[in-house]
Amino acid sequence: MDSTQAAEHEKISSLLRNVRQGDRSSFVEIVSLFQKKVYLLAYSYFKNREDAMEILQETFLRFYQKVDLFEEGRNFQSWLLQITKNLCIDYDRKHYQRRRGQECSKRVEELNVTDERNSRQERSSDLKVIFSRCLEQLAERQRMIFTMRHYNGLKYREIARILGISIGTVKSLHFKAVQNLRGLVGPYLGMNHEHL
Amino acid sequence: MNTCERVKRDLVAFLYRELEADGMSFIRAHLASCPACQAELETLKLTLEGADSLSPGLQEALEEVDWNSLPARIVDRILVSEARPRRRFQPVRIFHFLLKPVYAGLLAGLIVGSMATWLALRNSVPRQPRPSRFFASAEFLENVDLEIARRDTLDYLEKSQNLLLDVFQSSSQEVSFFEDPAAVLRTQDLLSRKKYLNPQLDKLQMSKAKEICDQIEILILELAQVAERLSPEQMKEIQGLVEEKRILLKINLLRKELAENEV
Repeated sequence: MDSTQAAEHEKISSLLRNVRQGDRSSFVEIVSLFQKKVYLLAYSYFKNREDAMEILQETFLRFYQKVDLFEEGRNFQSWLLQITKNLCIDYDRKHYQRRRGQECSKRVEELNVTDERNSRQERSSDLKVIFSRCLEQLAERQRMIFTMRHYNGLKYREIARILGISIGTVKSLHFKAVQNLRGLVGPYLGMNHEHL
Repeated sequence: MNTCERVKRDLVAFLYRELEADGMSFIRAHLASCPACQAELETLKLTLEGADSLSPGLQEALEEVDWNSLPARIVDRILVSEARPRRRFQPVRIFHFLLKPVYAGLLAGLIVGSMATWLALRNSVPRQPRPSRFFASAEFLENVDLEIARRDTLDYLEKSQNLLLDVFQSSSQEVSFFEDPAAVLRTQDLLSRKKYLNPQLDKLQMSKAKEICDQIEILILELAQVAERLSPEQMKEIQGLVEEKRILLKINLLRKELAENEV
């Protein structure tokens, strides 16, 4: 760990000690430091502001309830994002029906991003919908890993820590996720069958 | 696995710059001379451009939120809902240091009581010797044990040999041997058999068989533990090791000797 990381680690450890003592301002500072990362992960997963906000609040509630269980020396960000990840999965399972209801008005057959007759805006919007739907079709872990890597910019090492798996497994699942997305999105993008 | 297959497997990691420097260089060099892998890369890039279509939405989502006032609101809401006192309440720990003498006393009482009960019952009830219906000399019983050990070892060797041959045969195919649930069950069965076999292999006459069976057990255990993450190159390395140590040859020889009863 270099000096910047060590200083940051020490700062977070100090804040956590204060939070355990019931210090409100330290709690506020912890939330300020990590709110965007938590929100981004939740929003990438649900594509919905309300759900992401709920997950954000619930994450820090759980953090507050379990702060005594956090072991010194562990990576705090990974631990926090692990809580977020678990909440996303639980919330998704509970509200699965509601998520499936948020469809756009067009049917899949009507979506065609390669048709030049459609306006650029229409094609862009269709691609967003297509990709969003294809992403939802991925297996849970593949979707989570793809989201964390592509939208949250987390490295394989960090993702492995959050999910509690090896880096090799992250790499393998990420590869499968992208391959599966290619198989799902490919026909809409006009890819040759041999490449799918 | 040939070079192209290896490169294709790492293309996604390459695109996201997740490989080590020499891995990145290797793939760049390969792509410069392989149109098929280049085409593969282009389709992956096209797919990921589709993923980027969702990124502006994420940026907008971040800009919509008032990040300055949000932390205080979240914290206040949590503190109200939890209504925690200033000092956090420490739950009673079961193994608190003040309770240790109590537990020590309970444990001592249990031990002393159990011993006393055992001594009392042991001496009060005289044991009647069981009338023996059959007579068998110690030598006869030892020979029977040895014969059972011999047969069980033969069975274990045969099954292990079949498993190893199936594993190495599947390494040349696309599907890993350990992806089949039946294969996993076979592996677990063999590991259980070996545990059962261990006391039998402790006999002096089975020492040679014990050495080979232990080597087989270690190999199967390693394969079972790492097989899911094993790359084809690593599998070939293990195969090479097996050939170097001539494990399959040793199994054959041992089976022959056991069959002829010359252990």
